[in-house]
Amino acid sequence: MGYKTLVGLEIHVELMTKNKIFCNCKNEFGGEVNTHVCPVCLGLPGALPVMDKEALEFGIRAGLAFNSEIEKEVRTDRKNYFYPDLTKGYQISQADLPLCKGGHLDIELEDGVKRINLERIHIEEDTGKQLHTEDGTSLLDFNRCGVPLIEIVTKPDINSAEEARLFLEKLRSTLKYIGISDVRMEEGSLRCDVNINVVDDEKKIKSKITEVKNLNSFRSAVKAIETEEKRHMELLDKGENTDNETRRWDENLNETVIMRRKFGASDYRFANEGDLPSIKIEDSWLEEIRNNLPELPHEKKVRFISEYSLGQYEAEVLTGSKELAAFFEETYKYVNDSKLLSNWIMGDVLRRLKEEDMEIEALHIQPKDLADLILLVKDGKINNNTGKKVLKDMFDSGDSPEKIVKEQGLIQISDEGALEEIVEKILDANPQSIEDFKNGKDRAIGFLMGQIMKETKGKANPQMVNKMLLAKINLR
Amino acid sequence: MITKDEVNHIASIAKLKIKEDEILLFTEKFDQVMSFVQKIKEVDTDNVEPTYKINDEDGFLKENGESQTLTREEVLRNTVDTQYGYFKILKVVE
Amino acid sequence: MDISSLKAWEMREKLLKKEISAVEILESHLNRIDSVEKDINAFITIDRDNALKASKGVDEKLARGESLGVLAGLPIGLKDNIMTKDLRTTCASKMLENFIPPFDATVVRNIRREDGIILGKTNLDEFAMGGSTETSYFGNTRNPRNLDVVPGGSSGGSAAGVAANELAISLGSDTGGSVRQPASYCGIVGIKPTYGMVSRYGVMPMSNSLDQVGQFGRDVKDAFLMLKGVSGFDPLDGTSSKKSGINFDLEGGSLKGLRIALPVEYRDLKVTGDEKIREMFDNTLKVFEREGAIIDYVSLPHLKYALETYYIISTAEVSTNLSRLDGIRYGYRTENYETLDDLYTMSRTEAFGEEAKRRIMMGTYALSAGYQDEHYKKALKVRTLIKNDYDKTFKDYDVILSLTSPILPFPFDSIINSPVDMYKADLYTVPVNLAGLCAMSMPMGEIDGLPVGMQLTGNRFQESKIIRAGYAFEKVVK
Repeated sequence: MGYKTLVGLEIHVELMTKNKIFCNCKNEFGGEVNTHVCPVCLGLPGALPVMDKEALEFGIRAGLAFNSEIEKEVRTDRKNYFYPDLTKGYQISQADLPLCKGGHLDIELEDGVKRINLERIHIEEDTGKQLHTEDGTSLLDFNRCGVPLIEIVTKPDINSAEEARLFLEKLRSTLKYIGISDVRMEEGSLRCDVNINVVDDEKKIKSKITEVKNLNSFRSAVKAIETEEKRHMELLDKGENTDNETRRWDENLNETVIMRRKFGASDYRFANEGDLPSIKIEDSWLEEIRNNLPELPHEKKVRFISEYSLGQYEAEVLTGSKELAAFFEETYKYVNDSKLLSNWIMGDVLRRLKEEDMEIEALHIQPKDLADLILLVKDGKINNNTGKKVLKDMFDSGDSPEKIVKEQGLIQISDEGALEEIVEKILDANPQSIEDFKNGKDRAIGFLMGQIMKETKGKANPQMVNKMLLAKINLR
Repeated sequence: MITKDEVNHIASIAKLKIKEDEILLFTEKFDQVMSFVQKIKEVDTDNVEPTYKINDEDGFLKENGESQTLTREEVLRNTVDTQYGYFKILKVVE
Repeated sequence: MDISSLKAWEMREKLLKKEISAVEILESHLNRIDSVEKDINAFITIDRDNALKASKGVDEKLARGESLGVLAGLPIGLKDNIMTKDLRTTCASKMLENFIPPFDATVVRNIRREDGIILGKTNLDEFAMGGSTETSYFGNTRNPRNLDVVPGGSSGGSAAGVAANELAISLGSDTGGSVRQPASYCGIVGIKPTYGMVSRYGVMPMSNSLDQVGQFGRDVKDAFLMLKGVSGFDPLDGTSSKKSGINFDLEGGSLKGLRIALPVEYRDLKVTGDEKIREMFDNTLKVFEREGAIIDYVSLPHLKYALETYYIISTAEVSTNLSRLDGIRYGYRTENYETLDDLYTMSRTEAFGEEAKRRIMMGTYALSAGYQDEHYKKALKVRTLIKNDYDKTFKDYDVILSLTSPILPFPFDSIINSPVDMYKADLYTVPVNLAGLCAMSMPMGEIDGLPVGMQLTGNRFQESKIIRAGYAFEKVVK
């Protein structure tokens, strides 16, 4: 049977509200050090927290998007510990009554859909930032202190690094879809900790759960899970075991390194946050938030499959982001050929975006322009290769396809008479190729095609040329 | 009975240093707290909700109100050591 | 005329009539301070320059014919746990000895809005933990009525300042009696408003579900004036009430037909040496009866658990409220540290006084793993039962009458009263905070030259009932 890997994830997501969660300092990444700080987030004596409506709404959106049960009376608790980036000596979080209970996210595996269940989602405040200098001091910036966070905790339903990756991708796109976070792991607006152990049901052995922190990207989360599960298995194989410890992912060493032993032993002395009487979530508000939720990725994918007759894979890719799906649908209005459109978008458009490390939002090609380009090719005015070149130019210049085609004189030569002339010319110049083709070397056609393209600067209509070549060779 | 170890443990999580001769005092004080606990244990509180809202009102939310943001000078004014606009302390040993 | 010996409301009336100026009012109090402060030590910080500037400003406003606020021209003292912008605020602790807040508490903003003059920051027990103002880093405050005895605490400075005419009116804070008891000991009026009536934003908390900012005045009208000036809903305080606000006046209250409840549990509570005080209270009851009040004994059965409930809740809350004092962003930072743990531990150990450390230890213990669920939550349930007892009583009665304290103001370093009695004494004041009620202590008389107060307790947001009753009683005994 072998080992089964059990992975649970704890994901912290920074909410992109206008203001911080308990005060009205700006919630903005990258401001000048210590300039978005007030008595509340600085933890001055007597300063008091007040819950932000937008932060609470964003948390509720997340709960609805993941099918969680929303707690109608929102209570907060103090999580007590001392650390320099924590200004009050406690973090206002939620202990036994999280904002959202349960919930799930489905991922697409090769052999079907797998449901990853959530334990809970709760709302809390972020801490400040610490920098370590070379001369042995720590520098503290509290701009980030008080930024609203939601913490999403999964059940240990994830059984491999690949499943974790799929889960994180889906989570990320859903969170972006509902507009509550820009989920940029590099900027810290999405942070992930991994809890992992392995079990062998037959031999009835299991390793002790270890926690891995300091994961800066999905890639490192995947690698950490892979190396960690291997480490657990190797220890069990030797008859040893892991320890309940917290480990850190080290990118350079490509392995997990111990950070501290015995996690979970901290006494946080959770106590009700007396400065924040519980908040009632009215049913009417909840309904309003629910109605304003955008169509979620899964719903959209199902709709794309049926409405546009797309395959699973295409639908998955095209609904990967809300903006990409919107781009597809907008362009479709002008093109009306979903197969063709999806090929173009999934091919050249996405490829170029990936090369430039850009998101679709940054693309300055209008849907109508892309549609026009596709139609130009579909109608035979330019050939496919020309089309790709025009797209490249559109990317760079932002000009419309008509303009580019006109300026560069790229209209495909589909005039029979003109083509005939050229075909005859090339055939006359290449008797050997004709001979080769007649002797069974099919490649010779390709060579002749290439010559014709060269002669016409790529503008010859390939389908027509192909037909003509075959016809004329037979006559020779 | 509260042990000396427990007293030291509490002191360490409260970030206080307790002198050797104060430990006895604290074991007594903690015992006193436990005696209070014992006293209220005898109250029947079945079906009684804990009081979380003293003035019987629900909490309220804030929405785009005025900010109380301070200038950096005000933020740093009362600390002992700063550098480049940051608060400065010795390096944290993990 | 010695302006500082007038009542605050009289000073304001004369100011508005232009009989005296705000500067004269201030100078009168400054003179008083110069003559008695060295004996009383009511203040930690006196802000003469800015007070003078503010007083001049009020005079100018008056000259321009502009309307003036409710606290116009009145020299006001603030307990030094209330944040004042750019004016040192210490909480009577070495930890905050040099702390200059960059912001005002909401009550301070309200005072400024009402043209009040902030004269200085008054002495208290360190972090408001105490009942005698003997634990301040800045020395003891003495009772103006008798310099050998304590003024009470923790708001001893604010009470003494008003009693000694160094201040017209003042603010304190009350968690379990810290305004009412010093009012009683100094022979003045002290109000602890309903929980949520006065903003706590900018007031260093002791126990956040019990604290309220309280008002001191030489008579009921003065204390009422102070309350009017600072109360109101504050969007910066999540526990502030939408029902907050004073919308009644003092006239129109009558003792005739006033329904007064006397807790049986107090009648049966005996503290060593309280006979004379009880006798005085019984005589006071006769005054009420003579004026037509209806007095009954009622039982509040859960009152007997109030002290334990209070101590568990307040110590647990206090311990976390003081966690932000770590020497990193402000406050005292030790010089002997090599590790982060040292930084925290040595700063806090060197800067906190003994009582503060003791309470933090007790609170941390009360909340530590394995215990928190059991007794903190249990205490919150008993709190509900106590609250219910009061709610039931107030259905049929307007006010509850009792002593404020069963013991007289005592000498410094006192061991005359046993710890058990000191502890029992709190039973008169503490349940009021547990139930979030409003209460007022006012002078009842004197024994051996020492003031004794009585306490009127009203239901939440029924300040009108207790303050009007107090005002009516004051008129009767005058």
